[in-house]
Amino acid sequence: MEIEVARERPAQEAMPPETVKQEALASASEPRNGLGKGLALTVLLTLALGVAILGSLATGAVPIAPRTLLAAMLGQHPLTEMQRLILFRLRLPRVLASGLVGAALSVAGLLFQGLFRNPIADPYVIGSSGGAIFGACIGIAFFSQWSVFGFSATALLAFVGSAATMALVYSLARSAGKTNVVTLLLAGFAISTMFTNTTYFFEIFDKSGNGNRILISWLHGVIGIPAWTELAVSACLLALATLASLPLMRTLNTLALGDEYAQQLGVRVESARVCIILIGSLLTAVAVTLGGMISFAGLIVPHVGRLLLGPDHVRLLPVTALGGAIFLILADTVARTIFAPSEVPVGIIMAFVGAPFFLYLLRKMKRGYTV
Amino acid sequence: MSSLLQVRDVHFDYQGHSVLRHASFELEEGSCTALIGTNGAGKTTLLRIAAGVLRPVSGSVVLQGRPMGAIPLREVARTIALVPQQLELPFDFTVQQVVEQGRTPYVAVLRGPGRSDRMAVDRALDMANVSSLRHRIFNELSGGERQRVKIALGLAQEPRLLMLDEPTQNMDIGRQVELIDLLHFLQAEGITILASIHDLHLVDKNFSTVLLLSPGEPLASGTPEQMLRPSILEHAFQCPPDRHPLLIERAELYQKETR
Repeated sequence: MEIEVARERPAQEAMPPETVKQEALASASEPRNGLGKGLALTVLLTLALGVAILGSLATGAVPIAPRTLLAAMLGQHPLTEMQRLILFRLRLPRVLASGLVGAALSVAGLLFQGLFRNPIADPYVIGSSGGAIFGACIGIAFFSQWSVFGFSATALLAFVGSAATMALVYSLARSAGKTNVVTLLLAGFAISTMFTNTTYFFEIFDKSGNGNRILISWLHGVIGIPAWTELAVSACLLALATLASLPLMRTLNTLALGDEYAQQLGVRVESARVCIILIGSLLTAVAVTLGGMISFAGLIVPHVGRLLLGPDHVRLLPVTALGGAIFLILADTVARTIFAPSEVPVGIIMAFVGAPFFLYLLRKMKRGYTV
Repeated sequence: MSSLLQVRDVHFDYQGHSVLRHASFELEEGSCTALIGTNGAGKTTLLRIAAGVLRPVSGSVVLQGRPMGAIPLREVARTIALVPQQLELPFDFTVQQVVEQGRTPYVAVLRGPGRSDRMAVDRALDMANVSSLRHRIFNELSGGERQRVKIALGLAQEPRLLMLDEPTQNMDIGRQVELIDLLHFLQAEGITILASIHDLHLVDKNFSTVLLLSPGEPLASGTPEQMLRPSILEHAFQCPPDRHPLLIERAELYQKETR
């Protein structure tokens, strides 16, 4: 009997029409629901980002009531000169920079996690941030006056350092067509440690003492108050990189099956890999030039996104960018207010939040580390 | 019948060891071929080479009269689907999301899957009898269920040649029969089948051709009657004839036929 049933099954016509219809409806409704959920979450996070920016602008050593801020925006209540100065010269550039750094690190984390098929890959863990810092240090120490097409040598070298480190770590972790996760993490850790400690020697070459101060704040992850032009360039690069990564999101879904399977499905794996590393490195360089070494943002945000929406990278991209921006704006607000008027580097806040999360993920993934 | 795939004098080394030597075979359009051989004989390697995912050290693979290397990847992916033995996913993709990846060679980069892609996925899920699992997480399925999902993923590619690497592993006998029926159905639809099969009981009567791969021997080819002779199996698998039920069974059958 079983054999008879089984034999009839392949012939689709043999199935009752109601069953086929119900299954077709079920299959059609699922992606739509998933897409709807992703869209709803994107809208929700956009609103939350607005609230986070407003809340962060209002919070600080000199608080400005949100109502006053809103009224000032609507032109109903002029700000005092002091409030204007605090808002436009200090807080707004910093809040926007935090948002850009958070979005850049989170999207970079999403790209690297997809590429390495591993939820614990993020720019900090795999050494991309360390490489960017090293490149930026060379820029500060030797080429501080140079610029190419309007980009400072520091920013360009941060990008080169990040991309080169990624290529090195990746090639070390690859063996027989597979990426060894343990080697990836160890190589990332070793290279990151080496590069961040190498920055010490740049003090010797720095005569002004200004570079040294910048380096120390970078190593701890401090979001400074950038110039408006720097913010505009960073925002353009973030938008460009995010747009460029959009067509790669579907490829990342396919790469989850493994490189060889993806190739069998028609994906040009090597080209996709190079594109993902370059875009991820560009995003890391943007984040590093604005905020230095900030750990774990790229680890936590994509993971939380995956818990809410599932692993589809297409849906995850906007949610990750917005979530990362909100997360870092909130973290930086805490960093500059928790011991006000003193400030704590946001990198330290992130380390305290991120390290336990990282350990939790390691514990959850321990089946992958059997020796 | 015209030739769909030709593998000519293929040689492959892995870490200094020769895995395949002078392997040649041809698949006719619409044929159903079983690939058998000892563990480590290179069955998986041969399938990967034939599917174009592995490049041989020497020799060539010709698909529909064109060298494999000259055909764009997406075109190959629309013609050949290889269902691998192992599939590990790093994230919690649902069965439907996994099978949707089979449409990759059809979906344009900047456009999502269309109606025809969704229909092909539904059809593949249905043919592999995994429609009821579509919302389940792939990593949480049993070995047999995963096996059927992998077959659905291959079917979603709507290939002309379906290659399966040990497709019956982890399957109970009921699911094995379902799989064999599915292969008959696909063959009737004009799809060419090449399956590496460990269970030789399934080979007889279900496959038109058998390829036998033994270490250090040239690839042998013939009908099941020719290739499943006790003397050939005994030599190929280095198994004493009175120690395995299959060989005893085949020997009795062969004696009956000769009488």
